[in-house]
Amino acid sequence: MNRREGEGCPRRNADAALDRDASDNPSSPVIAAFKVFQQELDTKHDKYERLVKISRDVTIESKRTIFLLHRVTSVPNAEDILNEAEVKLDAVRQKIGQIAEELRGEDIFQFHRAFTPGIQEYVEAVSFLHYIRHRSLISLEEINARLVFMKTEKVDPKGSAEDLQPGGQVLTFQVTPSDYLLGVADLTGELMRMCISSVGNGDIDTPFQLSQFLRQIHDGFSYIGNTGPYEVSKKLHTLRQSLGKVEDACYALRVRGSEIPKHMLADVFSSRTTHMDPEEGVV
Amino acid sequence: MNRREGEGCPRRNADAALDRDASDNPSSPVIAAFKVFQQELDTKHDKYERLVKISRDVTIESKRTIFLLHRVTSVPNAEDILNEAEVKLDAVRQKIGQIAEELRGEDIFQFHRAFTPGIQEYVEAVSFLHYIRHRSLISLEEINARLVFMKTEKGSAEDLQPGGQVLTFQVTPSDYLLGVADLTGELMRMCISSVGNGDIDTPFQLSQFLRQIHDGFSYIGNTGPYEVSKKLHTLRQSLGKVEDACYALRVRGSEIPKHMLADVFSSRTTHMDPEEGVV
Repeated sequence: MNRREGEGCPRRNADAALDRDASDNPSSPVIAAFKVFQQELDTKHDKYERLVKISRDVTIESKRTIFLLHRVTSVPNAEDILNEAEVKLDAVRQKIGQIAEELRGEDIFQFHRAFTPGIQEYVEAVSFLHYIRHRSLISLEEINARLVFMKTEKVDPKGSAEDLQPGGQVLTFQVTPSDYLLGVADLTGELMRMCISSVGNGDIDTPFQLSQFLRQIHDGFSYIGNTGPYEVSKKLHTLRQSLGKVEDACYALRVRGSEIPKHMLADVFSSRTTHMDPEEGVV
Repeated sequence: MNRREGEGCPRRNADAALDRDASDNPSSPVIAAFKVFQQELDTKHDKYERLVKISRDVTIESKRTIFLLHRVTSVPNAEDILNEAEVKLDAVRQKIGQIAEELRGEDIFQFHRAFTPGIQEYVEAVSFLHYIRHRSLISLEEINARLVFMKTEKGSAEDLQPGGQVLTFQVTPSDYLLGVADLTGELMRMCISSVGNGDIDTPFQLSQFLRQIHDGFSYIGNTGPYEVSKKLHTLRQSLGKVEDACYALRVRGSEIPKHMLADVFSSRTTHMDPEEGVV
């Protein structure tokens, strides 16, 4: 971390005298300039750190929402779970509102690495919920439409008459297309898990829908190829594995399903997946 | 993260009927047991997350203290800087008090990975300050003696303890070791900057001191935590840089006037400086 002002480099002869003056006189312009740099950098790093903390909270809450959503395949009342998930995602949106507040007036790409994990997890969670409800992929515009925050301006008693804004401010958070892409790539891993658990529960329609859906997402990612962010290639590899698992499930259901009664199908499938399951964790 | 209750594994035939009962009946003992597990795990993970956050704050504040302490070689009034550093370290100790509060009644080794980076940075900062003042290595007992916190109990009538509770935080020997290893990198930087400032005694003291620390680490060898081997490698590089500085001062120093020594040294260090960052 190069945040030291007056780097401890050896000084050149020609400047030696000037530097001795600078170090003796604490109000020299050089020292004063560096003090300004110090404050700017400290403010920037503090903001980065706050964003990292908020992003960790967003990640954890989104992950818990996803785990909650995985339960819809195994309980009869899916609507309760979906409503509970919606409540959790509202809490996550509040946190994203805090991120937006921190980024007000800043260049978001200076802090992008701080909040990008949280935003990707949020995209994963909200698109998972959307898929369970509507069997389709949520669009980036829909995601951004939910991330609009009304900030009521704290009225400053010393404020002048010109600054009065009775309605409050509108603050939006725009998910970048790269975060959306990476979130959708993570979504495919969760959909694969949902497929496997639904087979275990005896649902034989979902795997086929999922297989088509994942195939379309996979084709979309192949169009992007290597023109996107560098993480896409890693996630494309994982996406292929997920697609492979889902398609194996469909084959097992279709080909073996005609031979074996339904209640034994789960056994067949479990022995096959444990055999070809080198790495389970997508996140 | 395997925190899903009722893992989505395919169910066996024999239990199929029982499981359908379990999933239909939300108050079955299986579901109830898993709900308890869920709460326990959520509490544990939340605590871990809080510890990570506090540890990050400790790390950042300790690093800033170290940067502050590097300035003692280049300003005339070292005492101001040392006092300012002491104030910052007191703030860090308050944060460590919060860590101790979170760990009250818990098995610290379950959460050790959460706070170990912060504690290592703190050990590095406090030992650096101690070295600048006393030219010696602070001991683990001295560090732990500073980490005693008086907590006044917000108590009910039965729990009245007029004196308040004493809470201590014990730095583990492995964290102490790793913090001292990081200290050597900072001492190497201090050595180089003091040469640049014309101080020709410090490098020799540091060379001896680092040699002793290096010998100590060599005794440990591979019986310690696994990070020690990586840090031993960096320690050797730091020791090499400090010894090169001493050689340059001694051998070339007799030939070249003092004010040109800085130039000679800067060209040599930039030549053999593959990786500067120790942290």
